[in-house]
Amino acid sequence: MREETPVLRLSSKLGTDWPAIRAAAEATVARREALNQVLTKHTSEDTSIAVVGSFGRAEVTAGSDFDWVLLVDGIANPEHLDACSAIADHLKSEGIKGPGAEAIFGELVFSHDLIHYIGGDEDTNANLTRRMLLLLESAPLGREDAYARTTNNILSRYILEDFGWMHARNPMNVPRFLQNDIARYWRTMAVDFAYKRRRRAGRGWALRTSKLRLPRKLTYAAGLLMCYSCALDPEISTIVPSEAGRGAAAKIVAHLATYVRKTPLEIFAELFLTEDSLTPTARKLFATYDEFLALLNDDAKRERLETLPHDEVAEDPVYQAVRDLGHQFQEALDEVFLDPTTPKLYQLTKTYGVF
Amino acid sequence: MRRYGFSTGALAHGDFRRALALLKHVHVDAVELSALRPAELLPLVRFVKKADLSGFLFISVHAPAGFSASDEAEVIRHLQGFSERGWPIVVHPDAIHRFTLWAALADNLLVENMDKRKPVGRTARELTQIFCDLPEAGMCFDIAHARQFDTSMTEAYKILRDHGDRIRQVHISEVNTSSKHDRMSPTAVRAYQDVSGLIPPDAPIILETPAEGDQIEEQLDLAAAAFNASRVRRRKMGRVS
Repeated sequence: MREETPVLRLSSKLGTDWPAIRAAAEATVARREALNQVLTKHTSEDTSIAVVGSFGRAEVTAGSDFDWVLLVDGIANPEHLDACSAIADHLKSEGIKGPGAEAIFGELVFSHDLIHYIGGDEDTNANLTRRMLLLLESAPLGREDAYARTTNNILSRYILEDFGWMHARNPMNVPRFLQNDIARYWRTMAVDFAYKRRRRAGRGWALRTSKLRLPRKLTYAAGLLMCYSCALDPEISTIVPSEAGRGAAAKIVAHLATYVRKTPLEIFAELFLTEDSLTPTARKLFATYDEFLALLNDDAKRERLETLPHDEVAEDPVYQAVRDLGHQFQEALDEVFLDPTTPKLYQLTKTYGVF
Repeated sequence: MRRYGFSTGALAHGDFRRALALLKHVHVDAVELSALRPAELLPLVRFVKKADLSGFLFISVHAPAGFSASDEAEVIRHLQGFSERGWPIVVHPDAIHRFTLWAALADNLLVENMDKRKPVGRTARELTQIFCDLPEAGMCFDIAHARQFDTSMTEAYKILRDHGDRIRQVHISEVNTSSKHDRMSPTAVRAYQDVSGLIPPDAPIILETPAEGDQIEEQLDLAAAAFNASRVRRRKMGRVS
């Protein structure tokens, strides 16, 4: 029997249903299971398929791209490329829509780059994107060993090299190195949005801005909650790294690793399940997101957003609807993070979220 | 004071006499008699009848790592002879065909966590399933297997968090990319230091590092360093032929 997800538990608690969210999660599970059956043979103890984007967030709708990488964490083997090609061939033969134009996904990706290149010139836009999406909205297909090893090692770097955290000079135990990189990724996405608008002469602009206003912002906000959980979780918040040493780091990495396995919506659902004062916000955030997924799942509306010329934006009802959803979603996020009557999250955001 | 020792299989494959002779020249008080290969089990049964093991305060036996289902009961019958002496029996969970047979060894059975090649027993979660079938069993924590499975040591931490109270013996070495036991490197020692404080202090440390000559003392020193301890070296008594 499948375990009930936090989103379903929240919807039961609030006595409501979010049909588009539920359908997208069910579609994701079904698609992942089907792909697992045929693609597992291309993975090994040294390789995992990592899916990101809507497949990672459990938000698959009709027009979803299948963003994936073959993640290698092991000894060099020329046959890894063969496995990668076989996966791509299978997806093509099944008519599954592949990764987007930037060619960041659909390739071999090596754990060494993701683990060793955090910051500095080597940490390219593609490397940052892959690393962050692996932590914030991914799921493994096939054997999970390489996926788990890689994500755990990335998290270990963020903790063991966080001087303030390791020396207990961080008042609320929030891993600042990790949180800064998540914030950097969010700002990078926002800047790249302008870059892509120029580069692609406005093509797909409306769909991209919709995604930036909702799912990408959701992923960033869930990343903040992942970091803040170190201050909110009773067991984790009481760790004193200067006393417990590297064992404390292992404990917090194991804690953060559980967040890697959660979707952004699950992270928010868990927050709302424990914070009764945020119930009206929970209703607003999930209802808004549900409407957005329903809109994305409508072929005609999605197509309209993909092709909408910039000069028709002001009069376009689909774009205006999604823009309104973006504003409602932002309101809900403001209530979570920036409302002084929610003192813990407000204080955390004030302490870590800006400077 | 933590006990340290070697697996006889690491020092001399199948040659128990030679392995013990090598250990006479170093300060160890624990030993694991290894019958990792099925063909070593009967010779070990015969060997222990005559061997002088009085110098060891801790003795365990490593069960064969692979045998057929039809041989399983016979293997356990021989292992029970060791168990009756009070020696714990270390077993690889993937070698087990019928858990009910192994339950007869009760808390003298130590289930070992596995390296990344194996289909079971590698993670805290997989071990939980095994201990559901063997609720009385203890555990032999192979820290090198745990590190090979997850070099960040997060899985090692999770195994210790979830099953630490079962640990009655530790295997230490370095497991290379071919999943073979190797001599420890300083980076392995540093990784082990991350979690060694979570290992019960009374669990003996058994080295599975292939070593000869001076390497035996060096590897014992590295094992002690992994546990943030130092050890007393025994003065050399001459070369072992």
